[in-house]
Amino acid sequence: MFTLSKKGPKALAVAIAAALGLSGAISLGVTSSASAAQTLNIGISADMDKLDPHTSTNFATVRILGLVYSELVESTPDLKIVPGLAKSWYWNSDSTQLDMYMRPGVKFQDGTPFTAADAKASLDRILLPATGAASRGNLSLVTSITANRTQLTIKFSAPNAPFLAALDGVNMAMLSKKDIDAGLIGKKVNGTGPYKFTSWSPGTSVKLATNADYFKGAPSVAGLNFQIIPAESSILSALNAGTIDFSYIGNPAVAKQVGSNLVMQKTSSLSYHVLQLNARKAPFDNVNVRLAIACAIDRQAVVDSAALGEGAPTGPLTMPAYRSSLKARPCATGDVAQAKKYLAAGGYPNGITIDVMTEGGEYALATPIALSVQSQLAKAGIKMNIQALDAATYIPKWLAGDFGAAVANNGGKVDPDTMYTRYFTSTGNLNKVAGYSSATLDALFLKGKSTGNVTRRAAVYTSITKELETQAVWVWLFTPYDYYVSSKSLSGFTPNPNGSLLELRNVKLS
Amino acid sequence: MSILRNRITTKILTVASTLFGISVFVFVVLRVVPGDTISSSFGIETSALTPEKIASLKAYFGIDKSLVGQYWTWLSGFVSGNFGLSYHTGVPVTSLTLHSFPVTLELALLATIIGVTVGTLLGFYSASQPGGRRDFVGQIFGLMALSLPSFVLSTAIIAVSANKLHYFPNGFEYAPPWVNIGLNLQQMMYPAIVLGIAVAAPVMRTARSSFIEVQDKDFIRTAIGKGVNPRRVRFVHVLRNALNPIVTMTGIQFGYLLGGAVIVEQIFALPGMGRQILDGITKREYATVQSTVLIVAITFVLINLLTDFIYQKVDPRIR
Repeated sequence: MFTLSKKGPKALAVAIAAALGLSGAISLGVTSSASAAQTLNIGISADMDKLDPHTSTNFATVRILGLVYSELVESTPDLKIVPGLAKSWYWNSDSTQLDMYMRPGVKFQDGTPFTAADAKASLDRILLPATGAASRGNLSLVTSITANRTQLTIKFSAPNAPFLAALDGVNMAMLSKKDIDAGLIGKKVNGTGPYKFTSWSPGTSVKLATNADYFKGAPSVAGLNFQIIPAESSILSALNAGTIDFSYIGNPAVAKQVGSNLVMQKTSSLSYHVLQLNARKAPFDNVNVRLAIACAIDRQAVVDSAALGEGAPTGPLTMPAYRSSLKARPCATGDVAQAKKYLAAGGYPNGITIDVMTEGGEYALATPIALSVQSQLAKAGIKMNIQALDAATYIPKWLAGDFGAAVANNGGKVDPDTMYTRYFTSTGNLNKVAGYSSATLDALFLKGKSTGNVTRRAAVYTSITKELETQAVWVWLFTPYDYYVSSKSLSGFTPNPNGSLLELRNVKLS
Repeated sequence: MSILRNRITTKILTVASTLFGISVFVFVVLRVVPGDTISSSFGIETSALTPEKIASLKAYFGIDKSLVGQYWTWLSGFVSGNFGLSYHTGVPVTSLTLHSFPVTLELALLATIIGVTVGTLLGFYSASQPGGRRDFVGQIFGLMALSLPSFVLSTAIIAVSANKLHYFPNGFEYAPPWVNIGLNLQQMMYPAIVLGIAVAAPVMRTARSSFIEVQDKDFIRTAIGKGVNPRRVRFVHVLRNALNPIVTMTGIQFGYLLGGAVIVEQIFALPGMGRQILDGITKREYATVQSTVLIVAITFVLINLLTDFIYQKVDPRIR
């Protein structure tokens, strides 16, 4: 079931193993079969955490289940919303009712047909508080959902222009009504995506097989074999040795080591690194202290030192259609003198000491970013203490708003409404984390939600950016790059800034 | 007879209280550190959970009971062979352990074989010329092996093997020995060498001291004086009498390998017990961590008993 790339190393392996007396009967020459040759081997550094697409926020789970389940709409690599399981849709004049028409002939992997009733049951499950669905907030304005065989009608309590974008992503996956009724979600994987779920060996591998009935055409590879290789440097070694064909890498230090023997595609992520300031806690309740911190930090210097130059300074909005302008922010390139003035105006002419928590573990850049920020703040008289916590300690403190400042890597969305409403509106479920809300922001987010015209919406979100930056609510640092590395025998993969691997449906192995 | 009975009773009591202490310690530490299974499971979306959902999740994860109740439920399950459930994967811890334990056991065995063989031979080589050239060579190896962190050696091996020789068997999915012995041994080769070198250093130093000490004993001088072949003196009289500390050190190192090979397992992508414990801690899966640590502790205790048994075989005076 496996091949080795060269005879020399085989002989070396035999010699070493024999010399060590490990075994006298090592069989190395195993020929690859035709079907194995077409299976795409993928290295991943973290395992899945569950099988329920509606409740998982784990990157690996979202990426893998995103290949097994489909949604009503999907986003293209250039972040346009296009038909998925819904082949078409129509809004009423004031964007309070959406009629969606289901694609005919689609089957779940167990052979049952997909209908509007399945779509309704899926959305109902997301809405049910007991589900604990990650994207329940996306449906907050929904007042009713009705279905006949091919038509799904969704009504809203107010205009809801960003709703289509909110339907994208595996947290909005369409499940089988039969499975939902039987309580099988999270136990049985039964989607309509390009691949079928075959097996999961926790800590070892996840295997998917091609779905011959996939409604956008069956993939050409026989299947996908996700192998869990915890160290990203070992993933790169496996790519170099030819034992895997594809992987994604998050650590720029590892990505810099990718050689010309491999193909690397680099894409700017929608996610962002940020220094979160909790404006409900002293001294961050003082806007001058927040502005002093924002002015003391040169974002490009953070990129250059912490991420080895691999990233781009960013404001709050990272999606191309609404990207925040960096020129409009206070002290756009860092200004230590201005930072000291703000600090004095805030009542701290002799400097100040702040505590910043960071998350260890898989967030490889947390400590380098914290160290870079720490050295820059010191120049303005701000002494920064770093509290390094493990993820399971960091997350509860972060959720409870039990921190003054925190280095975070937050996920981005295609639409600014779904990205930030939950943080910066007074009723948002993550407002405690944001540590800031205002009547101005509440009104602006409501306006953004009810405005359908892209140009007018862009103006609204420009105002939101300005409010967030002039108040130095948080200090947005930079967007990282995602690195997709493959062997030269792989073609057809196009990265998506939202991190989805859906385009693995189009890959070919030569 | 009564002395023997007392010794066995004392041993059993020591073992039982050690295991009980470890289980309580791990249980308490896991609950003292912030975070729980719910927040690590739902991440930032925990804030979207309703109080009812949180209550039902607590009941599902078994963390709605008192601490004593939680401990008792887990311990009584463990004793009856039910190690609990890994809630993230939905797989019983027993099943996870059945997969991870053989990986770690095999790795520990291979590393110990390499370490003891290399360490004993080098110790023997050093002791044959105390203070001389051979001793210098042996001491340098011991010092280097002790000073070299396993992750550095692992990374160096991978860098050369994968990037220069294009050979990295650990890039394939892990193969248990009963599925593919050839691939399995290749996947075990590098980590066993790395850990074997780490084991060889203390074994070498222990062996060297022990050989030197025994070489100076009267019975060795007597044997040499009586004209026994020097090679026979070295390999039979010295080696046999110097084995006790080496056996002790081997037992300790083997126990360390059972629970302490996390970094090597991570780098070489081996799904062993170290990774199981680390994942359990990261996800705050109490049953996974408690049960796995206790299994490691039980194995360690059994190895100590085995070491005691080997002592008696090696040195009749201990019987």
